[in-house]
Amino acid sequence: MRRFLLRRVLLALPTLLGVTALVFATVALVPGDPLTAFLGPGAPPEARRELTERLGLDQPLPLRYANWLGHALRGDLGVSIAGQRPVRQLLLPALGQTLLLTAAAFLLVLVGGVLLGALGAGRPRGAAGRLSGALGTLAVSAPQYSVALLLVALLAVRWRLLPAGGTHDAFGGGGTADLLRHLVLPAVAAAVVPLGLTARVFRAALGGVLAGDLADALRSRGLSRAAVLRHCVHNAAPALLTIGGLQLAYLLEGVVFVETLFAWPGLGGLLYDALSARDLPVVQGGVLVVAVAFVGVNILVDAAHALIDPRIRSPR
Amino acid sequence: MTHHHPGRTVRPGRTAAGPGRAARPSVGALAAAALLLSTVGCAATGSAAGAGDAASGGRGGTLVIGATGKLPNPDTVIGGAGFEGKRLVSFQIYEGLTRYDLSGTDAPPEITGALAESWTVAADARTWTFALRKGVKFQDGTPFDADAVVFNLDRYLAKGSEFYTDALGAAAKEYAGGIVQYRKTDADHVELVTKDPNGHFPEDLAHVLIASPAAVRATGSAGFARHPVGTGPFAFASQTEGQQIELVANKDYWRGAPRLDKLVIKPLPDVAARTAALRSGGVNWIEYPNPDDIDSLKAEGARIATNSYDHLWYWILDGSKAPWNDPRVRQAANYAVDRKAIAEKLLHGTADPAYQAAPRATFAYDPAGDLYSYDPAKAKQLLAEAGRADGFTTSVTVPTAGSGNLLPVPITEAIQRDLAAVGIKVEIRTTDWSTLIGAEAKGEVALGSDAVAQSTTLFQSEALLPLFIGSKSPFWTGHYSNPKVDQLLGSAAASPDRTARRTDYRSALSQVTQDAPWLFVVNDRNPRALSPKVQGLVQPQSWFLDLTTVWVST
Repeated sequence: MRRFLLRRVLLALPTLLGVTALVFATVALVPGDPLTAFLGPGAPPEARRELTERLGLDQPLPLRYANWLGHALRGDLGVSIAGQRPVRQLLLPALGQTLLLTAAAFLLVLVGGVLLGALGAGRPRGAAGRLSGALGTLAVSAPQYSVALLLVALLAVRWRLLPAGGTHDAFGGGGTADLLRHLVLPAVAAAVVPLGLTARVFRAALGGVLAGDLADALRSRGLSRAAVLRHCVHNAAPALLTIGGLQLAYLLEGVVFVETLFAWPGLGGLLYDALSARDLPVVQGGVLVVAVAFVGVNILVDAAHALIDPRIRSPR
Repeated sequence: MTHHHPGRTVRPGRTAAGPGRAARPSVGALAAAALLLSTVGCAATGSAAGAGDAASGGRGGTLVIGATGKLPNPDTVIGGAGFEGKRLVSFQIYEGLTRYDLSGTDAPPEITGALAESWTVAADARTWTFALRKGVKFQDGTPFDADAVVFNLDRYLAKGSEFYTDALGAAAKEYAGGIVQYRKTDADHVELVTKDPNGHFPEDLAHVLIASPAAVRATGSAGFARHPVGTGPFAFASQTEGQQIELVANKDYWRGAPRLDKLVIKPLPDVAARTAALRSGGVNWIEYPNPDDIDSLKAEGARIATNSYDHLWYWILDGSKAPWNDPRVRQAANYAVDRKAIAEKLLHGTADPAYQAAPRATFAYDPAGDLYSYDPAKAKQLLAEAGRADGFTTSVTVPTAGSGNLLPVPITEAIQRDLAAVGIKVEIRTTDWSTLIGAEAKGEVALGSDAVAQSTTLFQSEALLPLFIGSKSPFWTGHYSNPKVDQLLGSAAASPDRTARRTDYRSALSQVTQDAPWLFVVNDRNPRALSPKVQGLVQPQSWFLDLTTVWVST
């Protein structure tokens, strides 16, 4: 197991390197530059020239990348050009917020997906099964934007049950309860689509196992309904893990949009602003953090796979 | 205002609230202002929500403002979130030697004393002596004096001084770049010398913000953004990264404590999220609601405050090549657009039609200068005279969003329809604001179009005007060049006499209107939506705001 993990981590390094190099080149090639936003329209051209030199923006691209990489490896992600503050100071709180939102949404996806899927697989032709199928399809096809707006319009604006955005009440809120209240709507909005997908995949996987030889063999030995279901769920678990891992990755990138709509101060908004301002150090740092999180999630999912299914552990 | 300095004495301020008088506006003045608002203000110059309540003297409450951009860096001039950051954060925490007098609603603001009480300028219009206000303290209790001014100018201008940084130096250049000498003459006086004669220097200095030297020394320049201290009406309390900046009332503010207890600024760039935040009570004030929501917000009880400011939404036409190199063609376009429909229908009254180069809320605006109108027949006639009776095809680059750009694409589409009616076919090319303005700063047009759509605040400071209509601008200006305009701008800039400057600016902008290097479209009215509990807002004819009169009722 340890060798398996080591191999995966080593394989991840070139991926990360590639991602950061690609993003560096892309952002540098996109027109627009960070100084216009920072200096204001009235800055004399010599101020622009001076700052360009000070920031090293006039150096060749590969050299700038090498410079950045060298600092990044030592944990120094540089200073935001637009905001003039250390990138790390901006990234860490945003990363925390994104992870919190992702985790909350993922919890909803797993619990909801498994329950809905099991309901459908257990009684495929009953009312519950049909309902599960319908809900799953609805969730998958619901446009996230409309769902989010609908949630806000009804629950936040019309009925005022939950806040419309942010992480705490600006009129003197704070504390865990306040945070959780603010977490509900964005987490639900982010979870809807992946929940539907997870439910459908799990339902199909579990349905397949339940209709297969294993379930027949278990039943013929006189096991109870619940015991049969338990064994079958175990066998359907790898499928759940695969789809779950995919959905977690999807959530990590997908919450960008939910973050915007709900004014959730995560990486999404930070990256969006930084991209608009061509604030390269922030973009680079943000992408690195997202890439590391993404790769990390993949490794974890693979490791979980390997735990459940011994066949995966051996490379042959 | 009697000073024994040589040279001409320039009296800052214009009314009873001028510097040197009672620092706090009296109840009588407020009542008079309220009366003025209820008669003239609302009818002619628009709404100042709840201004009538100011006289009843409520106070307290927390104002939570949903801003359209991200949070600025609260270290003095760095900002980094454009003029909105300055309006809501920097100008609340800090002051310069001067400030905009934002207490009126019926005329563009004038410059008045802030940390300086008065000033004199030598005959060369370069050497300025500022008499500093006595008894002012920074929010950390440090007394303000001439040493503080010199300390801050060192921080901005003196490379190699202890607290200078490249970023501060670069950011300060916009307004302080012309200062070549500065010194303390005694504890209450400083002398500043500019490189060139600069008649609008006092206005420039409103943007050169003064921080507490003790606070800077305590944190160093790098750490100051986390503990910023100025002399403004609100003191920094905390910043939650990406979420909010919290300010509290500066009870010892020299103009009198602001009415509010607390001021919170939240970045809500998504207009749907911003509006939902107001509707759900998460904030009680939002900047720039979507014009389409104005009617429903009003119906729900929100107050919409608007007033003119020095804003112009326009196209810059490339005068260096066909089709726009013929002034008759440019004038034709200016007669072809139904600005009233754009202002009233598309923008729901949150903007006014612009028929000339000078925005209506500037001291250079002359109603008689409204040259253009909606006259498609005249447009066709001008096109025919220019030998383009059959029309032509052209292109424009439009930003998809951006500070002050209103609804850039829908407005451009409306213009596209109007121009098509006189035979001008426009291809619209969209890009993001950063790309567009980045290209302009290099003297280029993003996507290589014949025109660029954008907006600007022309007189936000006079220092910026030559950038837009001067022939030596480093910016892309559509290659506009008129020696007469250059000469007028030059003579205006050199004159400390405001009336003389006004005459020059009027002539210059009247010339620009005739030359039509731009397609003039609308002047924004700076709309904001307020919860009915927000009281006492006086919305000036300015991008900036004095929030000391505002309070929130319970």
